[in-house]
Amino acid sequence: MKFKAFLSDNGVSLLDKRFLPALEKMGKICHLYLTRDHIYFLHNLLNGDGIQCIAQFRKEALFDEYRLSSQNDDRISFAIDLSLLHRALHSIISIYTEFSASDSGVPGGNSAPNHIQIKLVKKLPPHSQQPMPFLTFETKGYKSAVIQDVPISKPLSRSDVLELQAALDMAQDLPQTLIQVPDMHQLQNFVEKMKNVGDVLNVSISKYGDLHLQVSTSLITLGAEFRKLSVIGEQAQSPTDDQNLSAQSRTRIALQRGDAMTVQVSVKHFFKSLQCHAAKPDCAFYVIAQQGACLTVVFQFFIPGTHQTDKAISLHCRLPVLDPGAS
Amino acid sequence: MSSSAVEPESPDLVCQLDNVQGVVDALTSVRWKRQQDAVLELSEHGIVLIVEETACLQAKVYLQRELFVRYEYSAEGRPRFGVSLGLFVDCLNTFSVQGHSSAIELRYPGPDMQLLLKSVESSDSCTYAEIRTRIPDTISWDYNFEPAGSTPLSFTVKSAALKEAIDDLEWPGSSIHLILQPTPPSVTFRGEGHGDLQIDFMCQANTDLLVAFHCDREVCHRYKYKFLRATTSNIPSSVIRDNRGSKLTIGRGGMLKVQHLVSVAKPAIPHPHVDSAGYQQPSRIAYIEFFVKPEVDEDDANDT
Repeated sequence: MKFKAFLSDNGVSLLDKRFLPALEKMGKICHLYLTRDHIYFLHNLLNGDGIQCIAQFRKEALFDEYRLSSQNDDRISFAIDLSLLHRALHSIISIYTEFSASDSGVPGGNSAPNHIQIKLVKKLPPHSQQPMPFLTFETKGYKSAVIQDVPISKPLSRSDVLELQAALDMAQDLPQTLIQVPDMHQLQNFVEKMKNVGDVLNVSISKYGDLHLQVSTSLITLGAEFRKLSVIGEQAQSPTDDQNLSAQSRTRIALQRGDAMTVQVSVKHFFKSLQCHAAKPDCAFYVIAQQGACLTVVFQFFIPGTHQTDKAISLHCRLPVLDPGAS
Repeated sequence: MSSSAVEPESPDLVCQLDNVQGVVDALTSVRWKRQQDAVLELSEHGIVLIVEETACLQAKVYLQRELFVRYEYSAEGRPRFGVSLGLFVDCLNTFSVQGHSSAIELRYPGPDMQLLLKSVESSDSCTYAEIRTRIPDTISWDYNFEPAGSTPLSFTVKSAALKEAIDDLEWPGSSIHLILQPTPPSVTFRGEGHGDLQIDFMCQANTDLLVAFHCDREVCHRYKYKFLRATTSNIPSSVIRDNRGSKLTIGRGGMLKVQHLVSVAKPAIPHPHVDSAGYQQPSRIAYIEFFVKPEVDEDDANDT
């Protein structure tokens, strides 16, 4: 089992400034899953409950050079503490940029190009007889070289990796109607305040482009409706006579006509998923899976300077649906 | 514009607010614990919210009709209903969006006697709420505030200084003596408990601090620290920022009245022509009043 790669400058800034801060909010520990072509950060895919978060990168998005081999069809996965990973990367970057700065100052200065190298190693930790696995970062600065070892779990067994891949495949197929999230910042602000009022959030999505969020308890009903949002996939024309209805009635009618779906999720999960905003996506969509199995938020990234989806990067969250009977 | 499906023929009140945050601030200032029941009283003059605790502390927030951009009142008498204060404030707070002047409509009663709220600005997005109301308990104790004698016993102090003094008195805790004396004109807070702490506001020494002072004889009353603290614990930051004063009056029997002013002005739009420094429209103020009953025992029962 071998893994060794050089982080690209773009990869460094993607991870340090955008993805690691966002992923840390999803949970401290995640699985890092490496395949021949892709790198995944996966939250909660093996243990059923909680919000599932899947960040996927094509190897070129993060690395200049990428070498991987394992007896399990060149797949490696292990659990890693994201805050440690972020700290290690952050410290490595400060040394690395110091070198790059000194390099650029002198014409024809340092001849050997500098890299941030990342590899899997087994080391004897201090006061221990048992070698432990680490993800190691290595770079050199102007006058120093730095190595940062991030402890990781033992690599997942073949069966666990298969299970992870199966969960991942299941999470990939997207259903019919995607609806574009309105102003994410405003929504985040709103849902944060909504958290104080109740625990269970009803999310309804219609083919007309309506998103309706509602918290309802025995003492209060609080909701927000966003209309005329852009829709990808199956669409429908909204009935012309629904303009003067209340948001609740409009949603009820759309559900009766089969033009909308509704699910119940935890307000806390919903808020957490909005924190993926830290990864600075260009837009985001909500989707309810078939039979209302889960609520998915798909974050979309554009190729810089264009409005074309960057297929090398993808991020989405799956929010477990609460059993209406149980709540 | 109306989006309510079933509307009662004529609601008691339909009103519109353009500064939700100001009202949230005003209501938060009487929120001294998590679970509090509040009574709302509607009239042609505005809305009054009343909270009280163990017949020793009462607070009122006056939201006069001038604070509303629209106020249509059509009830006979004065409808009253109970709500959970925490829920009401948390709910109103969701309507207040930062950097965005949010106008909302309040309506009472809904088809099931709810208090209905909805945002009124955008046609493509709408926030709404229905708060279940209940029949209010009768106010257990009449807080009729009467002046103690012919001259008022009162002083006005910077709200920030009052809050700081009361916060500092947490250390001795339990009971706090409030002493007013005419010569030299001064106000003293004295706490005796785990230790002694005395805080004096001297009228002459610091005219900025003590804005007004009326007292013709020495008086001393004792108040439970937790009730005094409730009067300033959630004073909105806007009150401190605006450098406002709070007025404290001692009435018959030692009842203490604490009044604060909270600005509910529309978020300031820079106005180059009529920019008189710090000028607030006087009508855009919410009045907050606390009534604190003194602790009475044999020694100071005949103080007044």
